[in-house]
Amino acid sequence: MKDDSIAFHGSLQQLLDKVETGEMIPKLQASHAPMCKFFTSYYVISGIKHVVPLVHGPTGCPLYMSDFVRTRECCETRGVPLEPTACTVLDESNVIYGGEGKLLEAVKEAYAKYHPDLIVILSCCCSGIIGDDVESIAREAEKMVGCRVLALRSEGFGGDFRSGYEDAFRLIMDLMDPPQSTMKGTINILGARWGPSPTEFTWDIDEIERLLGEIGIRINAIIAGGCSVEQIRHAREVEMNASWCYDWGQKIGDLMQERFGIPYSKTGQPYGPTATKEWLLGVAEPLGMEKKALDVIERESCRVEPDIAYLKKALSGKTAIIEISEFPGPIRALSLARMAEEFGAHPVVINVHPYTIKERMPSIKYMLELGINPEIILTNGLFRLGSFRSSKETEDELEDIVEEYEDPIFFGNSGRFPPCPVVNLTLLNPAFQPQYGFSGIKNISALVRQALENRDLPRSKLFRGMLYGTHAK
Amino acid sequence: MEHMPNEPVDAIEKPSPDKCSDPYLRCAFNGAAQTALGVSGCALLAHSPQGCDYLVNTAFASQECDYMETVTLCTKLCVDEIVHGGEDLLARTIREAKNLPISSMFVISACGPEIVGDDIVAVCEQVQPDVKFKLVPMPCAGFRGSQYDGIDIALDMMIKRLANGEREKIPDSVCLIAPHANANPTWAADLDWVKQALSQMGIRVVGTLAHRTQLSDIENIASAEASIVLSHDAGQMAADYLSATYGIEQLCKGMPLPIGMTNTRDWLAAIGERFDREKTAEDMVAEGERMVTAACRRKWPVARFLYRMPAAIVADATIGIPLVRFVTEEMEMTPELVALYSSRRAVRQLLEAELKDIGLSPDIVYGTDVYKTRKSLAEIRPRIVFGSTIERHACEGLDVPYVVEVVRMMRQFRMINREYFGYTGILNLLECVQNEWTMAWRSKEKRYESKW
Repeated sequence: MKDDSIAFHGSLQQLLDKVETGEMIPKLQASHAPMCKFFTSYYVISGIKHVVPLVHGPTGCPLYMSDFVRTRECCETRGVPLEPTACTVLDESNVIYGGEGKLLEAVKEAYAKYHPDLIVILSCCCSGIIGDDVESIAREAEKMVGCRVLALRSEGFGGDFRSGYEDAFRLIMDLMDPPQSTMKGTINILGARWGPSPTEFTWDIDEIERLLGEIGIRINAIIAGGCSVEQIRHAREVEMNASWCYDWGQKIGDLMQERFGIPYSKTGQPYGPTATKEWLLGVAEPLGMEKKALDVIERESCRVEPDIAYLKKALSGKTAIIEISEFPGPIRALSLARMAEEFGAHPVVINVHPYTIKERMPSIKYMLELGINPEIILTNGLFRLGSFRSSKETEDELEDIVEEYEDPIFFGNSGRFPPCPVVNLTLLNPAFQPQYGFSGIKNISALVRQALENRDLPRSKLFRGMLYGTHAK
Repeated sequence: MEHMPNEPVDAIEKPSPDKCSDPYLRCAFNGAAQTALGVSGCALLAHSPQGCDYLVNTAFASQECDYMETVTLCTKLCVDEIVHGGEDLLARTIREAKNLPISSMFVISACGPEIVGDDIVAVCEQVQPDVKFKLVPMPCAGFRGSQYDGIDIALDMMIKRLANGEREKIPDSVCLIAPHANANPTWAADLDWVKQALSQMGIRVVGTLAHRTQLSDIENIASAEASIVLSHDAGQMAADYLSATYGIEQLCKGMPLPIGMTNTRDWLAAIGERFDREKTAEDMVAEGERMVTAACRRKWPVARFLYRMPAAIVADATIGIPLVRFVTEEMEMTPELVALYSSRRAVRQLLEAELKDIGLSPDIVYGTDVYKTRKSLAEIRPRIVFGSTIERHACEGLDVPYVVEVVRMMRQFRMINREYFGYTGILNLLECVQNEWTMAWRSKEKRYESKW
């Protein structure tokens, strides 16, 4: 391995230590910008049915979200009808004189126009800096309309992307009524955003729902994945909470446990047989449904037995180089590392940015508690200025790293061209979804088979040139 | 609702009574980014919180930038910079980028830093000696207006800071303004058609403001004899400035852009007349009309069966206004609703003139938003809508058989850019109608299962 291209080589625990002590600075270069707090707040709020997200700001902030989340994602693929994204369209005059009056009128107008079940005022940079008191306006406005009006301070500068998710989930908790009864054998799924899952393909959340249904566990609400205000109001009547992704559900799960005493099932992502079993039992055991769950696990395991056998045979003794930086993301990469190990491979995770470690600290620590502590390599390209330079350099470095390991197999997406079989785990090809649960084992087995059986076929010079230039290594 | 059938032209510029809008247009910051990214070999530095960088990304896509060539950076302002100011961070970020192989860096500021008073002009002046590329500051906070205002602001800064007034005029030359203020998702093809038409007439394009434009083209812009604004939504301010400062005459002012037979004929004729190329223009029109007619005779577009169908047009003014005549004359439909994103005075005047000339009196919504569009569609109940993916969903439950997505579509993808301008543009629009008609007729379910 070329030492001059390696910025870090050690275990996940060692990387975490370096980030915590400040030895590795968790800062992204200027050419790499994650979403702001406003965007992620909007993501969560837009996952509630019949809600008006009322953006107190100029048109740029809401329009990006309405184009991307509302029209492209929700209307086009998730079967959601056209819902409003309202905006107060703050201008220079409002910035000078304040926009509170306009906001109050906007809430009334939004209610008259859209008859929503809920209005959530989202502040952005402008309204935050000029000091508009969105919470007071929300309280005032709620007396004048026929639905709940909440306010969320979601100024883009006010926190990183995670804080938007977390604050939005915290706000949703304000809608939860004290329980009148307990819904036996019922849970909430926490940590969703954007809306329900796409209609045309089966996704991870659908696999979770299917398996829970087989066991006889009911779901009150997927918060906030297309849930209604009514479902949120009854959210405290469930027996427990769970999440299909520990990372996304962790904050609201912990908060609901702390404030309402509702237990939160702490399990990792259900990648592979062991993690799937843990996930299902993590929910079923506290509900007293362990036996039924074990029956389902046994039945499902039998269904995918040939796939499990194949994966063991195919991956045993191999080095699984895992780099999933954009799609599907770093937590999945770590879950995959665990799955690869279960099937007999040695996992090496590439390029989990220190920024990611900082932003996902509780989840990373939890994974370490579970014993997930894979070998990690960070290359210098990860820290280069410029998205092309960074991407090109990390590609070159990845190709070098792969050659250092015996019998490597790459888990990532097809945008990489290492000299070894490539397992294309992108979420942008729904034909091989879900990746979770038992159906996921079948799909991952199919993807590994594709990678190994076609390893000698030529890769696309066209796509490689597109990504890394015609003079790519 | 702002319904104004046959509203007199002087009843305009009324502020919208709405306090709560669901807008079609992005903010000024986005428009400025879109303009700056039209310059080749540049970098764009957003002095903003990190979310605004996503508006830069959409501008990047709209200008079809190549990520191997164009770098975008962001200062990613946080609470600290909002409280204590972000000028130091801006200076530091510019210096971090000093080795980038670029000719210019546009520094655009968002709402946050402008409200707290960061002086990006002063920072650029201070840091300029430390870097080899030219720094061009563009204060253009989102609250300054719509994306069209942002385009005007950026064009103004670009011309004032970069144009060199000492250049000699180049005979028979033009500069093209604001081709990117156009809701055709592949508007670059419209620009290509214009360039090709001008080239056919022997007219030189000195520079385009802005798409794949070299810095030297902007420096030379004052050498153009004439300008042509390629948008009804933005760019007029730049044309006025070029006229007042450098004596650059604006052509085709107050004329609909060249969509459809009549508009294209008039537009080419006006340019031919200005440059004494009437015969060439006439030949181009004759050949173009012959080509379109022959293509239709061979392909048989079904639009001919949609005779006098009640139609709605929901678009920007750049596509929407010329489309009115094309839909009425060539496709023989009857526009009963025209909803435009813009509400500028010039837009109103142009549309009113067109409607009067054609003899139409549809309902008009200026400065429409998604709510007004949906309400108007519910009232008018057109049978065909020319609009975007938003209108496809807004028409749910309204019994609208055809929604022809011609602007801002998300449902369809184009690998090859397609123009609406000119003669091939006519065929492209007929093709959009044809495909929508085909999809509407396609069976959504099978009546029984086959045996094999």
